[in-house]
Parts: sequence; structure tokens; C-alpha cells
Amino acid sequence: MNDEYIFEYLHMEMVDQFCNSSDSNDDINTAIKKLERLGFTVGQRYIEKSTKDIQRFKDELETMKFVCKEVWNVVYKKQIDNLRTNHHGVYNLHDYKFRLLEQMSHSNQYKEHAPKYLAFPCGFLRGALSGLGFDCVVTAEVTKMPACKFLIQIHHS
Amino acid sequence: MSRPSKPGDPRKVSTELFTLTYGALVTQLIKDYEDEQEVNKQLEKMGYNIGIRLIEDFLARSNTGRCNDFRETAETIAKVGFRMFLNIAPVVTNWSPSGDTFSLLLDPNPLTEFVELPEDKYKLNYSNILCGVIRGALEMVQLEVQAWFVSDQLKGDSSTEMRVKFIRKLEDAVPAGED
Amino acid sequence: MIFNLYIFDRLGTCVLYAEWNRKKPANLPKDEEFQNMYGMLFSLRSFVKRLSPLDCKDGFLNYQTSKYKLHYYETPSGLKLVMNTSTDVGDIRETLRQLYGQIYVEYVVKNPLCPLDKPITSDFFKDKLETFIKALPFY
Repeated sequence: MNDEYIFEYLHMEMVDQFCNSSDSNDDINTAIKKLERLGFTVGQRYIEKSTKDIQRFKDELETMKFVCKEVWNVVYKKQIDNLRTNHHGVYNLHDYKFRLLEQMSHSNQYKEHAPKYLAFPCGFLRGALSGLGFDCVVTAEVTKMPACKFLIQIHHS
Repeated sequence: MSRPSKPGDPRKVSTELFTLTYGALVTQLIKDYEDEQEVNKQLEKMGYNIGIRLIEDFLARSNTGRCNDFRETAETIAKVGFRMFLNIAPVVTNWSPSGDTFSLLLDPNPLTEFVELPEDKYKLNYSNILCGVIRGALEMVQLEVQAWFVSDQLKGDSSTEMRVKFIRKLEDAVPAGED
Repeated sequence: MIFNLYIFDRLGTCVLYAEWNRKKPANLPKDEEFQNMYGMLFSLRSFVKRLSPLDCKDGFLNYQTSKYKLHYYETPSGLKLVMNTSTDVGDIRETLRQLYGQIYVEYVVKNPLCPLDKPITSDFFKDKLETFIKALPFY
């Protein structure tokens, strides 16, 4: 309980600002897209800073493991619990207790609000992977709060 | 090949994440509102909303009671509050003769670590969210204050200085049906 | 034995009410009960302060009848926690403080879907509260 929570407070207020604020004219989908793009920028810049001196990973899977362990640990204070892949560019990252949902619910209550809180993390993940050289699409799915799955599809050129 | 080095000090890295996220947010608000005064206003409002939650977290963790006077409040904000959430301890200075206004000198200011302000954005108070946080947090402990920036190193000033002015003490809500 | 718990925000809204071993209801509509409780606390608190020979920071801590004891804890942010127990329960300010720090702050303050000035609707918070209360030695 001693770890600071400042990023989380900022994130929750950002969601509120874009999704609920009466000052904003955006509908919910525009707001979610905005949060996703914001996450992308931050993810990309974050990777630039934190991996400045390291060489590229030897393959896609190595990169993905780095994201699931090191990056997740910094951002969400834990690692991804389960990583699956079809070895054709599709990855499924399962977090059993996702930090940005953890305080909200351990049932289906508030599940309809989850997409607003997952937009920034999806963008962040896409940005981080882009910074590591992979162009991809990221979506998220909640089965039961606070567990959540991030689905990554890498575009091979 | 060499393994990537472990990311550094976790505290520092999370502040970095916070700083980057804040920067992206400000950029987005400038795009959305265009007018810099309006961006200042939005940032202050967001800070207020953060402040009213942050204070509860702060009180629970620091186990401090009510402050006896405004001087003690100022010191607590600087030495305990800022340290807890941003890992800095601003200097408290420039007290007004009547003791109702003080300054916080933010040096370093973790919010602006990677930032350069474009020259045409001189009306933007980049760190304005902090004014809102202070106003919101203090309102919850029954102190109405105003907070604003008087100088900013981002604009070439020699320091980044926030003024905090005591307005009045707020009272508990009187129960319905009583005077 | 714990009978019930009220949490009031600083504007006097009862944001949480829960009961455990309360056998005899007050025979009042709930909102009237909350209003009376807040009103009583308000008067008691200000009068107790007035009577005090020295400035006291904490104000009143509890009162007791032959049948129950009312415990009171107020945070500097004006959140008021009120717990009624049987008379054999000692000083539980520390317990109420923990309830504030470990349950209210964790599951209400850190849940953006819980507005701070409205009755708490989070099931997760209520589950955590239930677990916390039932684990207390004087439950």
C-alpha cells in the first residue's frame, strides 16, 4: 500500500475529463479514441527513454516477453499473468488483476465502464510496441473485473 | 546479444511515466481548446478533482491531524504532501506580512522535466494542475484558498513560483432544520 | 458486538449505512434516522468542545448508555465514522482509522466510479467492509 498512486489519479481524471466532462463535446467513441492516441504517444516516448541504450530483441516473442515483464511492472506494478501466441503475430496477454480496474470491482458491477479505462492502456501498449519496431493493433476485453485480456495483432510487412 | 538493462529506480520511472502522460494531456487540451486561458482553466479543474481524492489518501497514509495554523499547513503541503506524491520538497517562502499568503518554489519541477514551451504559448501555465490539486485538497480540510503561478522557468523566469492565498475557513454543514 | 455503522461525508450526507446485530430498528424512516444522527453528532460535538476546559483537538470520542456504546471518529477531511457496539467494547478509534485508511480510501477514493459525495454503491467496497468487520475481535 506504500507505493504512490499519482499516475492512477491522473489517469482517472483524464478519463473523466474526456468521457464525462460537460465542457467536452465529444461522444464516448471520440473520447475513447482520444485516450487511445494519448496512450500511444506516451507508450512510444516511454520506450524511447527506457530502452535508449539497449539493442533490439532477437525476435517478436522476446520483445513481447520484455513488455509483459519489465514494461508491465513499471506501469502496472506487476507482470502479465499469462502470455499466449499462435506464432503468427497474434498475442494474448492476460492480466488477472489489472491495476486500473482492481479498485473498482471484482464482479460484473461497473463492467460497462471498463472500455474507458482500457483505452489509454491499449494505446500505451501499441505505442510501446511501435517504439520497439512492431506495427500492430491492440484491443482489450474484460471477462470478469478486474481481469482483462489484451489482444495484439502484429502487422507483418 | 545483451539483455536489456532493468529499468532504473522504480520511483523515478513512475514519475517519468506521470510526467510523460501529463505532457501528452496538455498537448491534447491545447488541441481541443486552442485558447490557452481555457486550457489553464481545464487543468486547474482537473487538479481540483484530483486534489479532493488525493487528500484522503494523504491523510490516511500520513496520519496527520488538523494543522494548527496556515504556516503549519504550508509546511505540511511542501514537506509531506509533495514528497509523498511527487518526491520533491518545494521551499516555502515569501510570506505576506499578514501571514495569509505564501509561495512554493518548485525547483526542480518534475512536471516539466521533458518540456520546452513553444514561444507563442506564453499565456499557458503548464503546471496549472498543481494549483487545482492544492485548492481541492485544502478545501476538503476546510480551508478555502486561491493558488496561482507568478513565474515559470519554462517561460525563462529564474524560478517557478506558486502563490497560495488563504481566503476563509469553511464550516461543517449545519444539519437540516437548524440554524 | 457490533450493531451498526454510519459514514457521513463533510456535508452531512450519509454515504454508507450497514448493520449487523441490530435487532430493534429505530422505527424511523432511514433518511430521518440519518438526519437525526447527523444532527445529534453536530450538536454534541460543538457543545462538548464548548464545555472543554482546554482546547481539544479530538472532541468527543464516544458515549455510552446501559445498552450500547456509540464510537465516533472524524478525519481532518470531515468524514465521520460512527459505530454502535455493545457496552463491553473498549476504545476502537484505531479500528475506525483503519477502516478509513484500508477500506474507504482503497475502495472508494481510488475507485473513480464512486463519487465522494453520494451514497456508496460499490459492491466490492461493501464486500471488503463486510470482511473487515467480521474479522474484528469484538464483532
